[in-house]
Amino acid sequence: MSALRRKLRIERIRKLFTLLIGFVYLFPMYIAVSNSFKPYGEIIKSPLSLPLHATMDNYAEAFRSSNIASLYATSLLITFSSVALLVLISSTAAYVVIRRKNRVCRFLYAYALLGIMVPPVVTLVPSIRTLSMLHLMYKPAGLLMFYGGAYFSTTIFLYTGFINTIPVSLEESAYIDGAGSISIFFRILFPLLKPCTATATILMGMWIWNDFLNPMYILGSTAGRTITTGIYNAIGAHTSQWNLVFANVMLASTPVVILYLCMQGRFMSGLIAGAVKG
Amino acid sequence: MKHNKLHDFLLAMPGFLIYTVFMIVPLGMCFFYSFTNWDGISPKYKMIGLKNFRRLFADADFYNALKVTLIITVITVLIYNVLGAVLAVFLNRKNRACSFTKSAIFVPAVLSSVVVAFIWSYMMQTDGGVINAVLGLIGIAPFDFYATPLRTIVMISVIIAWNGLGLFVVIYMATLSTIPTEMLEAAEVDGANGIQRFFRVTLPLMMPGITINSILSIAGGLKQYDHVKVITGGGPGGATQTITLLSVEKAFEYNRRGYSSAIILVLFVMIVVLSVIQLSITKRREVKY
Repeated sequence: MSALRRKLRIERIRKLFTLLIGFVYLFPMYIAVSNSFKPYGEIIKSPLSLPLHATMDNYAEAFRSSNIASLYATSLLITFSSVALLVLISSTAAYVVIRRKNRVCRFLYAYALLGIMVPPVVTLVPSIRTLSMLHLMYKPAGLLMFYGGAYFSTTIFLYTGFINTIPVSLEESAYIDGAGSISIFFRILFPLLKPCTATATILMGMWIWNDFLNPMYILGSTAGRTITTGIYNAIGAHTSQWNLVFANVMLASTPVVILYLCMQGRFMSGLIAGAVKG
Repeated sequence: MKHNKLHDFLLAMPGFLIYTVFMIVPLGMCFFYSFTNWDGISPKYKMIGLKNFRRLFADADFYNALKVTLIITVITVLIYNVLGAVLAVFLNRKNRACSFTKSAIFVPAVLSSVVVAFIWSYMMQTDGGVINAVLGLIGIAPFDFYATPLRTIVMISVIIAWNGLGLFVVIYMATLSTIPTEMLEAAEVDGANGIQRFFRVTLPLMMPGITINSILSIAGGLKQYDHVKVITGGGPGGATQTITLLSVEKAFEYNRRGYSSAIILVLFVMIVVLSVIQLSITKRREVKY
């Protein structure tokens, strides 16, 4: 009996300790949220407390100065189109490369993986030249193409690993029924790749949404900034006005955190599906 | 089966075309530029052979950037993989406390690095910073995170790790979920205690996760840019510059694209070499069952 009670007590302490880790980990988030509602003077006087005189002034000011709606529009446009492009071009290429057993495809597979260890910063400087020659510099389309090249290797790697675990029999019977490769891929294989597409979407979506260096130089400011470069730019002017800094920080992060919390289950299982199988 | 060549071509072509134009060609150009004195603006440039590399290996700024980059890489790789694996094992239970903390650790991973850097640069101020306010509550004197470049870099590494840890914990938990529970039970029946079970059963079976995570974390650490850029801008006097920061500065502020390409090329070679070494170590330790 006492052994059981001891076990229960250890279990309770363990749970409390677990919760403590979670709360300590979120402490910086608490600081950002609570200070975003405080006037400047209160942040300086009592940085740790909950807001005593809660105000929305910081948000109003940040909203005015950072043009946040247009930043979101640009980031959404770039993230959605880049992820869609990457999913499309790498799933189709992965299918051909992995299913056709010939020398050309084996070579193409190795060729596609060459880029997996190249960090995007390696291609940033030369890409600026290529993109200006193609008249794509300072345009969302240019950044889209840059990401298409930069993350093709990673996504094709995820897809080839996943396609390898799917038996060919379904495709074979469709082939016997006279379907061509394009319709076999889109009608039969692509729906089966959903878990891998989820993983690729989440991983690429996170990387591209949060990217900072590449949009700063490739997109610049003429066609509108992304959230990261826009917030950097908006805050850069007044780094010591912490009330505005935190309001900007919250405007940039709240929708993303809410999206994550709502889709958490899918988010995790999506990440896991590709990671384990791939 | 004989497949329609045209269909296959249409499926594979767009990807390989974009990849070639926007990855392979720029990669080749980076190699090429590193042997030139191109300034990024004028149409004319000269081949100068290995001069960029010779200058590079005599450049104190480069050695400092190399040191900073390696410190950040070592600290973040250790936190991601040691703390990440321990947390994954610790949180691998089905109760509310564990799922809360798991989600909590992942929240910073969806935040942008710029946002994270701004929050922490407020927290680590010497006067009026939250970390020092908390230390003050328990009677510890204010700590100056900017006193020496080393201190700042260590702190920035911790911030980077706070930002990214969630992804690594999730990948480790995913690998843990592939370990059959019978194995751990069998070890328990054989009399292995918790620590023995972790080192003798769990850890060897986690090797695939360790492979993925160490590659991701090494490459991530070596190309660090964002957090340093926001928190110190590389200063004071370039003391906290990473390799990426240095090369971007040389390319865009000093217009020395050739020299910048040489710096970036060294970074690339480092990533490839370290990844190959790392793969050969962990792949050998992966066990089959």
